[in-house]
Amino acid sequence: MSNPTPSKAPTGDPVVEVSEVWKIFGSRADEALKAIRQDESLGKAEVLEKFGAVVGVKDVSFDVYQSEVFCIMGLSGSGKSTLVRHINRLIEPTSGTLRIAGVDVGSLNSKQLRELRADRIGMVFQNMALLPHRTVRDNIAFALELRNIDAFTRSQTADKVIETVSLQGYGDRYPSELSGGMQQRVGLARALAADPDILLMDEPFSALDPLIRRGLQDEFLELSKVMGKTTLFITHDLDEAIRMGSRIAIMKDGEIVQIGTPEEIVTQPADDYVADFVQGISRLKLVFAHTVMTDPDAFQQAGGSIEGHETWPTQSTEADLDTLIGEAVDCETPIAIREDGKLVGVVTKDVLLRGIQGES
Amino acid sequence: MSTGANEVNSNESLADVAAANREAEASGEAGRQVTKAFGEFAEERRDYYAGTFSKIQRSTLSPFHINIAATLGSFVWAALRGNWFLFWVGFAFDMMAAANLGLVYRFDQARQAAIEDDKGYLVERFTDWTSNHLIAAIVLFIVGRLVIGWLADRSYYKQYSAWRIDPSKNNGFKLQRLVLAGVIVTLIAPLTLYRSTQDAPGARDCLKLVRAMQDGKEVATKDRFDCATLSEVPTLMWFDRPPQYSYPRNDDGTRSIVVKESTSKRQVNLNVWLSEIIDQRIDYAKAFYGYIFDSITAVLRSLLNAIESVFVATPWPVTAGVFLLIAYHFAGPKVAVFTLSSMVYLGLFGFWQTAMSTVSIVIASTIICVVVGMPLGVWVGKSRLGSAIVTPILDVMQTIPSFVYLLPAVAFFSIGKPPGILATVIFAMPPMVRLTALGIKHVPESTKEAALAFGASPRQLLMRVELPLATPSIMAGVNQVVMMSLSMAVVAALIGAGGLGFVVVDALGQSEIGRGLIAGIAIALIAMAIDRIVQRANKLEEER
Repeated sequence: MSNPTPSKAPTGDPVVEVSEVWKIFGSRADEALKAIRQDESLGKAEVLEKFGAVVGVKDVSFDVYQSEVFCIMGLSGSGKSTLVRHINRLIEPTSGTLRIAGVDVGSLNSKQLRELRADRIGMVFQNMALLPHRTVRDNIAFALELRNIDAFTRSQTADKVIETVSLQGYGDRYPSELSGGMQQRVGLARALAADPDILLMDEPFSALDPLIRRGLQDEFLELSKVMGKTTLFITHDLDEAIRMGSRIAIMKDGEIVQIGTPEEIVTQPADDYVADFVQGISRLKLVFAHTVMTDPDAFQQAGGSIEGHETWPTQSTEADLDTLIGEAVDCETPIAIREDGKLVGVVTKDVLLRGIQGES
Repeated sequence: MSTGANEVNSNESLADVAAANREAEASGEAGRQVTKAFGEFAEERRDYYAGTFSKIQRSTLSPFHINIAATLGSFVWAALRGNWFLFWVGFAFDMMAAANLGLVYRFDQARQAAIEDDKGYLVERFTDWTSNHLIAAIVLFIVGRLVIGWLADRSYYKQYSAWRIDPSKNNGFKLQRLVLAGVIVTLIAPLTLYRSTQDAPGARDCLKLVRAMQDGKEVATKDRFDCATLSEVPTLMWFDRPPQYSYPRNDDGTRSIVVKESTSKRQVNLNVWLSEIIDQRIDYAKAFYGYIFDSITAVLRSLLNAIESVFVATPWPVTAGVFLLIAYHFAGPKVAVFTLSSMVYLGLFGFWQTAMSTVSIVIASTIICVVVGMPLGVWVGKSRLGSAIVTPILDVMQTIPSFVYLLPAVAFFSIGKPPGILATVIFAMPPMVRLTALGIKHVPESTKEAALAFGASPRQLLMRVELPLATPSIMAGVNQVVMMSLSMAVVAALIGAGGLGFVVVDALGQSEIGRGLIAGIAIALIAMAIDRIVQRANKLEEER
């Protein structure tokens, strides 16, 4: 396993800790859970038949760190939306614990839970879920209103957030007067209004058309960089997960199949399921020199010559394939990959082509 | 299709296949396939049905096409073909014709008797009736046969279509079905014909008969059969008359219970028995828990008094002006003009005070309906238990004819305006509850989830999300309540609620059609004006 890129490596204490969370729907969930724990091979269909219970989330554990955009990717029915609703306890886990900044969410009483939801966690929904009878401004200020903040402060805060999501001039409109993309901006603004630490984004851009989706993705990335909010981003679209996520968890049938950086997911799929997904993904921006490069010694053993490598074009181990191609197009020699001035690898055109193909 | 000319090579293109099919159709090959299915369905007279069905499919069937066999055979034909719809239609027509023939026989007997008694006017009447029923019998028979003949192939084709989808449906021509048909005919025909040929005993004669039976007298079997078996469902249960209770007031104000055993030896049927029991229970409740009903009456009366003091006691120019302003403000100029002309009508015909009294009752009951119905609706909308408890009650309340509500109101609250309001409230409440519940249920799950995700408490969820989103539905409920209250307030005049309804009831009692009509129009105008104002206001509100 190659080193994940340092800038994207999680650091510090986790903000969200999810450990061994199970969610089984149905009146006999506990029995079903016991049975599954005893017999690992018990399939979904059998659980449904025996206990009338549906397994939503199956033994999921992961940590999310400060300022990270953590993507949870899976097809519909994979349990990703169910999973994310555990974090603000919209859904109670059948078993397992969730901590936010070290506090067990399950131990909160209803008042504390409401405070947590209002102050610490903002949520964005796929279908916007705006209140049609309120103006954009009042929608955005909704979380503040629930905390009994006075109207003046509310509208000031709301106006600030309106600017953040570039909705100036729409504050007094009703959601129905706005396009889908703008409505989702309102949704985002509403989540940001209370200045929460954590953002839960449940397929926020899935219902939008591709162009607007891309625009919003870019804007959100920009915002995310500036605000540095810890984000859990749910999507069914691997492209989006790769664009947005610093790390990605891939879910299937309620289980997490693989957690890793986009590069890890693309270059080292954990199983055929993930490999299938990754197949169509363009690797140009995802695969870096350190993954494809040949070790100088191995290069020489294979009959290559590193003579005169000082004159070769130089790139760092962080350079992606796209950059490497741009470099290789205009020169005859291989590309030298250096770290702190020292030659650590060689990338020839053959290696590049293989790298694009994905069989390094 | 896999035979003969239709067989196509797998590597031929789709266009070739289409061309081949077209050719086959033209040559009749595909047609023959379908025709074969028609034949399999019909089993007997394959060619006739294949021909008719293909005409139906091509829409070339003559509008006057009639199936001769079905016309002659009617329900027998339908039974053989397994078409039970046509069987019942045909049987019903023939049964009606037969019953008319039975009547011809009965009135002819009566005519003979009248001739013997030498009652000229009766002879004339019975002669008329005999010929009338004879004509009816003939017409019914012929029309029935023609209807069956016309429907036969068309309905049979429908049966064919159903059979194609589900081959277990009836097809073909089976003699066994005649057995079932025979059973049905023998169950129905004799009794019906017997009834039509015999004079039915009158209700009073039957009552006498029952008394005689109770006293142990001999009763002819035929009479017993006619009265107690054919006219009414035989009474199976007889009860001793329940003892009579009374609750006289003692000197110290308390009441004591006095029981008097019934002296009648005659037993009573279930109906009489239960009615007496209910009467006694109500008397008991009124005697010992009267204060409950009295206090409810007092509350209703003070509410009504408060409202009446506004509407009835205020001079008419003021009230009328306010109404006009309300109509103009909430529903625009057109409705305001209509409201004005309605008020002019009320004024010209001297209905102002009476109308205001009706309006007061409507407003009082609307207030009660909203105050009670909305929380109830919220409960029904949010809780499965609430829905399980309240929904069946609402169903019953809405099925019962409005008239019947007057009864319990009178039983417990005697007559006057308060029981009138009560009956009105019971009648008008269901839509309030239902529409509130509907509105609450229709708040999207995702919106509620979003509110919860932002930390809404259950109370905040209700007040700031659910109720506002349910408002259109709730307003529709209020509209319904107002309209239903008005209609019931009019009916409640029967128990002394007064108002415009009383004018109509009174006029009806004295056969003063003109007075009733004018008052009736006044009611209609009030209803229309209120409806216009509320609906228009709702619409404008929604557009905003």
